[in-house]
Amino acid sequence: MEKTQMNMTTLFEKLNDLKTLFQYGEKIVPIIKSLVDFMQDTVPLLENINHSITDSASKIPTASNQINNVTSATEMATTEILDLIDVISANLEKMESINNSALSQLNEAKSGIATLKERLKNDPQSLQILENIEKTFSIESNLNELKDYFPKLKNDAYQITLSLQVQDITAQQLAAVNHLIDSVQKRLTSLINDIDSSDFEKGLPKIDVPSGSTFDGNASYSKNNSKQSMVDSILREKSEKASQDEIDKLFS
Amino acid sequence: MGLKFLVVDDSVTMRRIVANSLKNLGYTDLVEAVDGKDALNKLAADSSINFVITDWNMPVLSGLELTKAIRSDDKLKNLPILMVTTRGVKEDILEALQAKVNNYIVKPFTPQILKEKIEQILSAN
Repeated sequence: MEKTQMNMTTLFEKLNDLKTLFQYGEKIVPIIKSLVDFMQDTVPLLENINHSITDSASKIPTASNQINNVTSATEMATTEILDLIDVISANLEKMESINNSALSQLNEAKSGIATLKERLKNDPQSLQILENIEKTFSIESNLNELKDYFPKLKNDAYQITLSLQVQDITAQQLAAVNHLIDSVQKRLTSLINDIDSSDFEKGLPKIDVPSGSTFDGNASYSKNNSKQSMVDSILREKSEKASQDEIDKLFS
Repeated sequence: MGLKFLVVDDSVTMRRIVANSLKNLGYTDLVEAVDGKDALNKLAADSSINFVITDWNMPVLSGLELTKAIRSDDKLKNLPILMVTTRGVKEDILEALQAKVNNYIVKPFTPQILKEKIEQILSAN
């Protein structure tokens, strides 16, 4: 009897536990349900993210190629400008030579007229003719003015050439951007491969990125000569130290 | 013997600008190379080259590697080398000097600097 009572007590205890479990379950079921709903809502969102990453990663090679195209186009345009500057400089050289030759012929003519004027000093009519001819020599001042322009024009053309160094510097900056793009693509590809086990990478066009040693990511076009001043100061220090070392060697 | 320059740069623009600048300074005898390896081939083929102006960042063989190769070659080791590069941080300058370049110019360069550096190298040699 006593044993039966004990069993009953255990049974009631177990039933109580079960009741508590059911009560707990009643509370937790709505939470689980809302969690499932949330997960169901999240799946399209995750798919969307995956699609966006895939889309972005597949566009990267195009962006990279466009950067390479910009570099090629600027290099081509710069070469054309340099060709034109060479032509302009050569033409300026010819014009300067023609101008100098005209000035020299004019001087010879002036000297001839002076001699004739001396010989024909008793012939007023001839003198008048010579003086009229001399008046046409006013062109000399124009030719002299032109003579001063040629070095200036040649120097201006050369300054344009020097400014075109910007093309090499921007090409290096763009190469650095391409390197960054390449590393972003590698990260995205690895992320996509983690989400989706399909071999996404194989489908991507290859990015043509130059190796790191072919460009300087810190290249900048600046007329400020602080970098060159630093070079000069380091060189001076080195040379002074070298001279001192030589002196020390002599006395050792 | 007159000066014969070897201008080494992978950028066609820079090769032309340096060449134009040298011509403006009266140095008309020059050869061009597109990278360090090409430069070494040109040096091997033409013993009259007696001045090298090189960029640093180049494919195949960089200007720094070219300098080291020249300095370790018995026939070439005394060639004057002027580095013309965009690299302007102290560590780079020291690295180039350690590799034994004779002088160093940071791009963009001016004709005055180019003239000054060539003359400094020539007077020191």
